[in-house]
Amino acid sequence: MGAMDDELTREFLIESQEGLDRMERCLTELEEKPQDAELIGEIFRAVHTIKGTTGFLGFKRLETLAHAGENLLGLLREGKLTANRPLITGLLELLDGLRSILKSIETKASEGEGDDAVLISQLEALQMPAQVEAKEPVCAQVGVASASAPPPSKIRSAQPVASAPVITAPEEPVPAAAPALKAPAEAESEAARPRVQTAAESTLRVDVAVLNRMMNLVGELVLTRNQVLQATASDPKMTMLTRRLDMVTADLRESVMQARMQPVSNIFGKIPRIVRDLTQTLGRRVRLQVEGQETELDKSLLEAIKDPITHAVRNSLDHGIEPPEARQAAGKNPEGILKLRAAQEGSHVIIEVSDDGAGIDVERVRKKAIERGTITAKRAMQLSEREQLQLIFVPGLSTSDVVTNVSGRGVGMDVVRTNVEKIGGKVEIDSRFGKGTTLRMRIPLTLAIIPALIVRSMNQSFALPQGALSELVHVPAAQAATAIEWIEDAPLYRLRGKLLPLVFLDQMLKPGAEHKNASERDNFIAVLDADGRRFGLVVDGLADPEEIVVKPLSGVLKDIRLYSGATVLGNADLALILDPGAIAMKAGVALREEDAAREAEGETGAEAARDIEYLLVEVAGRQAAVPLSDVLRIEQLPLNRIEYIGFRPVLNFEGQLLPVDDSGGVLTAAQGNSAAQVIVVVCREGNRQVGIAVSHVLDVAGGGELFEAGSEQITSGVTLLKDHVTGVVDLGGVVRLAAGQQAPAEWSQMRETVA
Amino acid sequence: MSTATVAVQGKEKAEAEMVEMCSVRLGKTLFGVPITHILEIVGSARPQPVPLAPDFVGGLIHYRGDVLTTVSLRQLLGLPAKEGLQNILVLESAGGCFGLLVDSVGEVLIVSSAEYELNPATLDERRKALFAGAYKLRGSLLIMLDPEKLDPMCLSASLA
Repeated sequence: MGAMDDELTREFLIESQEGLDRMERCLTELEEKPQDAELIGEIFRAVHTIKGTTGFLGFKRLETLAHAGENLLGLLREGKLTANRPLITGLLELLDGLRSILKSIETKASEGEGDDAVLISQLEALQMPAQVEAKEPVCAQVGVASASAPPPSKIRSAQPVASAPVITAPEEPVPAAAPALKAPAEAESEAARPRVQTAAESTLRVDVAVLNRMMNLVGELVLTRNQVLQATASDPKMTMLTRRLDMVTADLRESVMQARMQPVSNIFGKIPRIVRDLTQTLGRRVRLQVEGQETELDKSLLEAIKDPITHAVRNSLDHGIEPPEARQAAGKNPEGILKLRAAQEGSHVIIEVSDDGAGIDVERVRKKAIERGTITAKRAMQLSEREQLQLIFVPGLSTSDVVTNVSGRGVGMDVVRTNVEKIGGKVEIDSRFGKGTTLRMRIPLTLAIIPALIVRSMNQSFALPQGALSELVHVPAAQAATAIEWIEDAPLYRLRGKLLPLVFLDQMLKPGAEHKNASERDNFIAVLDADGRRFGLVVDGLADPEEIVVKPLSGVLKDIRLYSGATVLGNADLALILDPGAIAMKAGVALREEDAAREAEGETGAEAARDIEYLLVEVAGRQAAVPLSDVLRIEQLPLNRIEYIGFRPVLNFEGQLLPVDDSGGVLTAAQGNSAAQVIVVVCREGNRQVGIAVSHVLDVAGGGELFEAGSEQITSGVTLLKDHVTGVVDLGGVVRLAAGQQAPAEWSQMRETVA
Repeated sequence: MSTATVAVQGKEKAEAEMVEMCSVRLGKTLFGVPITHILEIVGSARPQPVPLAPDFVGGLIHYRGDVLTTVSLRQLLGLPAKEGLQNILVLESAGGCFGLLVDSVGEVLIVSSAEYELNPATLDERRKALFAGAYKLRGSLLIMLDPEKLDPMCLSASLA
């Protein structure tokens, strides 16, 4: 075969596979809407295109099969047949047949030796509009076998070539059929789905390799930009130029990333077929609801979540949704609902697979977990029901057959979690016994460029992905001796009253070597939450957060299993990207007694990630919450750092004036005590920054739903934090207050006296 | 000097073939790398060390948008490591690209396959695995390095 032919064949394979994917989606949809002419048109087109092109390329087996299918579809399109279940089953088999031949052409460059006679005769049999069909809606085989009446000849004459099913040279079927199909299909699709039509005209097929290369080059450009920005930071003449470079680079990066985005419908589209096949073998009745198909995700990530999603769907059908009789007995609709939902939330995409099936028996999960030693009984009692549920992702547990049979889930749930976490995502499960189960995956939009914090250890830079980082604690040399505690040789830190296991990065990376004692240097504890493990990584320096371009490592370095890649920093240095999960695993060997607690701790962390995370603070004896995403940093400073503009407390913060809210009266209370320290939570509010004076910082916790509440002075809402109703600080209110529009009475008085 | 012609591995050629070799030095020893395998010579780079990596890994360098693993020839031969800036040959092997840290890079030598000889039996095992024979030059020997054998993946397998 010449190069020209190769190119043609490749093109043909891609087109045909796309056509068949569309056909598969349409077929399952057709089952719901058997009268939809547009769907039928789409299916017909897919098969017709294959048939037309194969004649040209000389794939006889493919042509014969496609031809048989086309005849059947022709009748369907003309309304002479109805799309009932046996017919759709037959068409799905045709689809599989065509696919397997295409596959063989792709891999072996030949059509293979198979015999399609059985399938073709089935398709022919389906051409007879048999009366029995209505009576046999479930079993395809029966429908085919009983459809033995002779074909009405007038139907056959509708297709010029229909009388000879095994035709070798199609005379002119292409132009004959094309105009006929175009008229109705086009008119309808323009009204219903204009996207389908315009997509073909305005899109271009680009090799993924080219896109990858582009992504790489853009990554290079981002690095160069970072270096230019650093090098010219002090030169005012360059400011305009670098700013422009910065903008263009950002836009370009976005465009290239956009080019790699694909809608999740590429994966969701395959689900209806799986559902159809599984419901038939398992004897379930299931309605599939799909939402947010158009949500887009980076191609490589889409590939990575394909298996977890399929797995979750199988689980839902196999163990989640009960057989119709059982559902009826439980007073449910015999038809179960399986829901797939995708939606973008900030820089993440949320994918949910939910069912209204039997749910998971938390009791059994907990018992099993205790039995297996995954968790101590005492610890289990402290966990909320929801936290206990997440135990299902723990490897030893999920393979347990007891959990699988009784509560429904478990086969390979750890694999689902591993796959999702491998791409920086998070997964969690939510279930109500008897009511249903929801599996929720949180996937980052892209992998190639991630935000990271650059940390220093052993005079070397390392990148720590922000995704796993929950907070930073500074322990100066002078405090290290008291702040870092030890159980034997395991270092611990008391983080808001709870013990956090610590891992010293230098000791982990250079075991045995002499390292500076913690009390001889600055220590920064990066509190990490990875793979369900929470721990503090101790480094001796922090640099700026940076958007880093992930570069893969060679195999020999991947084998170390502590680095997930490398990157080039703004100062042109290379930095290894640390893998928090792997570090936790490695450190876990030395901290075995902490395992169970840590595991549970991690589940708490995973649970907290579900809702909005809040920083829990105490303001003058009252608890309040600040959305964590708005918190930039927490400053502890002497009271005399707070200055006043008129009555307004402000803070000179990194050269900028920061309005400080003191509606709790924390500053006022400390007034007069010159040695007093105050804590200011620095928050982002729109484009501005504001500070909130608080008495104590208590914790970070996930908050439940916001309930309606009467608004207090700076409280616009409340949240359920750790089972306590907690007021949420309204940052918008702070700015108004700071602008002097709602100054409290005593301050107004103060202004009067000043005036 | 021996005048016996040695058949080039597997090839039954009577007449000698001319091969271009890039000469590099490590200490006093002269090594040769076939220029067909060299992508680029990077002078004075400072590889970033990789904690916990196998000893022969000389660190990472940034090369045209990729991060390359480098192999320290000194380390491989059991010589003390050299600090600071290094000369690096970027080599291509079946497994991908990698860097080779050497002391200095010399001129390209054109050698005749007629002057090639296999590793002597007296060489220690480790060196036998790394060297691919030698070319007899006037006054010195040019020890052949085979990029395939120096590939980090291959080394980690053979040294394991």
